[in-house]
Amino acid sequence: MSVAEASTTAFAFEVAPAIAVLPLASFVIALFAGKYFPKKGALAGVTATGGSLLLSLWVMLTVAGGAYYNEEIYTLVSTPESFDLHFGVLLDPLSALMLVIVSLVSFLVHVFSLGYMNDEGERGLPRYYAGLGLFSFSMLAFVFADNLFMSFVFFELVGLCSWLLIGHWYREDAPPSAAKKAFLVTRFGDYFFLIGVVAVFATFGTATFAGSESFPVLAEEALTDGGAGGELSTFGLGAQTWFTVLGFLILGGVIGKSAQFPLHTWLPDAMEGPTPVSALIHAATMVAAGVYLVARMYGFYALSPTALAVIAFVGGFTALFAASMAVVKRDVKQVLAYSTISQYGYMMLGLGAGGYVAAVFHLMTHAFFKALLFLGAGAVIIAMHHRQDMWEMGGLREKLPVTYYTFLAGSLALAGIVPFAGFWSKDEVLYEALVHGLTDPLLLVAYLMGLIAVFFTGFYTFRMVLLTFHGEPRTHTARNPHLPGWNVKFPLVVLGILATVIGLTNMTPVAEATGLEIEFLHTWLEHGIEGLNSEHYGELLETVAGYSAAELSPLLAAALSLALALGGAGLAYSLYSGDRPDRHTDRLGDARTLLMNNYYQDEYQVWIAETFGTGVARLSDRFDQSIVDGAVNGVSSVSLFSGGRIRRIQTGIVSNYATLLTLGLVALLLVVGLTGGWFL
Amino acid sequence: MVISASLVTWFSGPTLQTAPPIGDWVALTPVLLLGLTALILFVIDSIDPDDASNTPALAGTAAVGTVLALGAAVVLLAAGIGQGQGGALRLYGGQLIVDGMALFFTVIFTSVATLVIVASYDYLADRVYQAEYYMLILLAATGMTLMAAAGSLATVFISLELASLPSYALVAFLKDNRGSVEAGLKYFLIGALSSAIFAYGISLVYGATGRLGLDAIAQQLSGGTQLVGILGVGVLMVAGGFAFKTASVPFHFWAPAAYEGAPAPVSAFLSSASKAAGFVVAFRVFAVAFSPDAVAASVDWTLAFWLLAAVTMTIGNFAAATQDKVKRMLAYSSVGHAGYVLIGLAALNAGQNGLVLGASMIHLLVYGFMNTGAFLFVALAEHWEIGRTFEDYNGLGTQAPIACVAMSVFMFSLAGLPVGGGFMSKYFILVGAVGTGHFVLAALLLINSALSLYYYSRVVRSLWFEDPADSLSIDGYPVGLYAAVIGAAVITFLLLPGIFLASDVATSAASALFA
Repeated sequence: MSVAEASTTAFAFEVAPAIAVLPLASFVIALFAGKYFPKKGALAGVTATGGSLLLSLWVMLTVAGGAYYNEEIYTLVSTPESFDLHFGVLLDPLSALMLVIVSLVSFLVHVFSLGYMNDEGERGLPRYYAGLGLFSFSMLAFVFADNLFMSFVFFELVGLCSWLLIGHWYREDAPPSAAKKAFLVTRFGDYFFLIGVVAVFATFGTATFAGSESFPVLAEEALTDGGAGGELSTFGLGAQTWFTVLGFLILGGVIGKSAQFPLHTWLPDAMEGPTPVSALIHAATMVAAGVYLVARMYGFYALSPTALAVIAFVGGFTALFAASMAVVKRDVKQVLAYSTISQYGYMMLGLGAGGYVAAVFHLMTHAFFKALLFLGAGAVIIAMHHRQDMWEMGGLREKLPVTYYTFLAGSLALAGIVPFAGFWSKDEVLYEALVHGLTDPLLLVAYLMGLIAVFFTGFYTFRMVLLTFHGEPRTHTARNPHLPGWNVKFPLVVLGILATVIGLTNMTPVAEATGLEIEFLHTWLEHGIEGLNSEHYGELLETVAGYSAAELSPLLAAALSLALALGGAGLAYSLYSGDRPDRHTDRLGDARTLLMNNYYQDEYQVWIAETFGTGVARLSDRFDQSIVDGAVNGVSSVSLFSGGRIRRIQTGIVSNYATLLTLGLVALLLVVGLTGGWFL
Repeated sequence: MVISASLVTWFSGPTLQTAPPIGDWVALTPVLLLGLTALILFVIDSIDPDDASNTPALAGTAAVGTVLALGAAVVLLAAGIGQGQGGALRLYGGQLIVDGMALFFTVIFTSVATLVIVASYDYLADRVYQAEYYMLILLAATGMTLMAAAGSLATVFISLELASLPSYALVAFLKDNRGSVEAGLKYFLIGALSSAIFAYGISLVYGATGRLGLDAIAQQLSGGTQLVGILGVGVLMVAGGFAFKTASVPFHFWAPAAYEGAPAPVSAFLSSASKAAGFVVAFRVFAVAFSPDAVAASVDWTLAFWLLAAVTMTIGNFAAATQDKVKRMLAYSSVGHAGYVLIGLAALNAGQNGLVLGASMIHLLVYGFMNTGAFLFVALAEHWEIGRTFEDYNGLGTQAPIACVAMSVFMFSLAGLPVGGGFMSKYFILVGAVGTGHFVLAALLLINSALSLYYYSRVVRSLWFEDPADSLSIDGYPVGLYAAVIGAAVITFLLLPGIFLASDVATSAASALFA
């Protein structure tokens, strides 16, 4: 079912793989020929991601015309009557939207890097641009993957790229260690994902996302038709229980990559990478990959109310938990890092609460305003000669007007102030959580946590803005900032406009109030391949997962969260406005210590790793030393001994050989003859 | 379980339509070319017997002959001669059969012969009787291609002797070298004994069936026979004859001595091409004449091959692990590989015949390149006169890095690591063994492969990680030997991604035997 309405496959779909291949080409060019180019590979990257952006827009337009695409393009292994491993392209409203987001952010990050890396005279630029190219390639291919196996492959590539880029400045102490941490922590989650992929293959014999033979459809048939469930092997568990287990296994990878509690610890450390990389990781690539994966296979998660509830609860908890830590941070990038964790928590909350569209909406708006904020922070860091402590800044508003106003737009979006993008999407997530939560206490708790986090978000966002841009300059550097060039301002302006207006595409409260058909994203996601659209997910949630929504006006919920956000912002204003703001964090006392130390998350995880990890390592070492090595040594000493015996047979005397040969033949004759009964 | 996965979906396999009718001689072009080249060498040598001045002409002629034969075989294979719906071509009343398997193995023989001849150009420099050397190689290759096409037990015997007799002389080629002459004599004596057993086996089979043609025997046996004991002894003695040619235990005793004593290019030729020739004729005789469907109930020869495979791979690998000399280690490893290939015959009773036999054929193809290359590297070492033991190879990587990279590729590919086609072919054999339920053989294959990694990696360790002895110095980089070693390494490596090109041909050729 590659084509819905068009009789021939649209040409845009034929060239769609080039969306990913272009950045791959720029990776190769930057890696091998980057040093010969004037901008060390940047131009190749800009061109490639620009091309990807145009192609993605073209694909999006084609999808808007009602055509979808789901084709295998390369088969790795195919075994009849078992399963096959292949790469394919799945283009539907969700992936088309995400392709545009990823390629746009990636394009802007490339442009920004010209200002952040090239103009600052950084070294190792070909390596840097090669990493960016590979990163974009991996993420784009991940987005249009048509099956879980391909997703896993590119999921891992994304992880590898993050390791390469976070550790870009490998000569310093912190970046390599942060890169290792990011790699290892996400890998811990990916183990579960890998087991999940294998289990999906073992259960369904396929891992494709779309089509009548895809695993979400098979799972759905097993649950709804009843009869079909007997054909699937569910390893002794009930079908729904087993699907929940599968969902949890895959969720392991999601929690690692999307930095959800308790695997979020890598993300703040990952700030050691260059700031444009942080923008790319947080807005469009690595962290988004986890949430996108859940959205991609939402038809599967919608079958398991348990998995959904866990997703929602983890999301809501993470949103609050991370927001509280962002409150006390001094480093501007740290604040943004925790806000990322918190915002992805909202997306998980949305997905878990049955708000598929809301979560995708927030994924989209967040991609724009978080990219904006990171690039804005990057501009500030350029201006401050690579100092990141907000207490050394202040008063940058006059000197950096473009940066200030765009950053402010991003902050308003992040805090969720009407009418900026984040307001609409975050509000819809919370609304979905609330209406479904009124019938499910667990969801309601998740909703309440998300709601409280709104207050914190408003507070830390405006604390950041006020400390950075307002008041009197607190250091010499802040009084004489380095003014950024066009290549820094251009991405900021583009993203600033988007962060301001993109929320208008899906104004649910307004639609509710006025009755206008202006929920464009809802319409967009309602279409798509059969079984792969929000309408179908809604049915599944009701019939299989048993979700029911209470009747409630979105206006009320919107007003509540807006009031909280304004409250947070107002508190920040009252504390940190003025020319010389005080440090109020000390007044928090022990709570501050706790927050500054991130609830001792790192400490306890290191403790777990050292206690259990080392214990297990020691045990397996002993097993390896005594049993495995023992067996190997035993085999080799036996074989060397018997090898020596065999050597002795080889006497060098031909008549011995002839005797042995004849005896051997006789022995063979006897054995075969006796079993064959010739001599009877 | 289909081994030849559709990894290369764009590759449609050989053309499977009915081949156009062609003259007998066209189908036999590779055989005729090889024989003709041998005669041309004879003419050159009688006109101008001075070997020293003739070296390029002799080696060139021989190489051109084998390359042409190789090209002819590839063209015939690609054109689908003797394959597909038309079935095999039966020539001269069924005495010779040209089909996919015959052509596939002709490709192996001619490729190995080409590599060996190119390498011999340097190895034989300043030696006498060069014309005779090349002639013997070509005649042996002719015999092998005839073995691949033999359609009756009579042609089997004659072509086997045609391949063997030149081999005896080739092993003893270094007339003033004690080891070479002794090895040649031992080879000849064991060969004579084996031939006697083989001929006796043929006569017993003839006694039981009254036929010599392979198809005719199969037809006769399909009705059952009263003379089960006679037939059974005959079948096993025939198997013994093949076991000699393939250097399988207990008919392997000649192999270590012969491979070690012979000039290294000859060892390469014998251990790769001659072994493959023994296998192709065994495949054909046992698959066609004693087809498992017809005789397995009374004469369970798969059990015999099961035992031979198990014993051969175990003894070959265990003995190889204790050797001090590289060439002797390779000789025993060659015995071990014969054991792996024998799995293809041992598993011929479980309804997966085309696949398991195809896997063995693929392994012989890959083996033809990696093992030839390894022996030719030894020839290179002999050319440099640096000694024969593992220690003598220490630090060679510093002096001849390219050749040592090639040798490392051979070693790892022989061990079954994925740096060469050996990984895939061994994997196919393993899949075949598991798929047919021969778990013991599969386990033995794995254990022996693990053991083989030990002694193969010893070579690699010597080449790269040990410090060279002070006296280590090599004089010159002989062009012919280098070209052959590197060519073999490149093909070994390319057979890793390109294995599916060969596997489709091999499995369809093997399946055609049972059609």
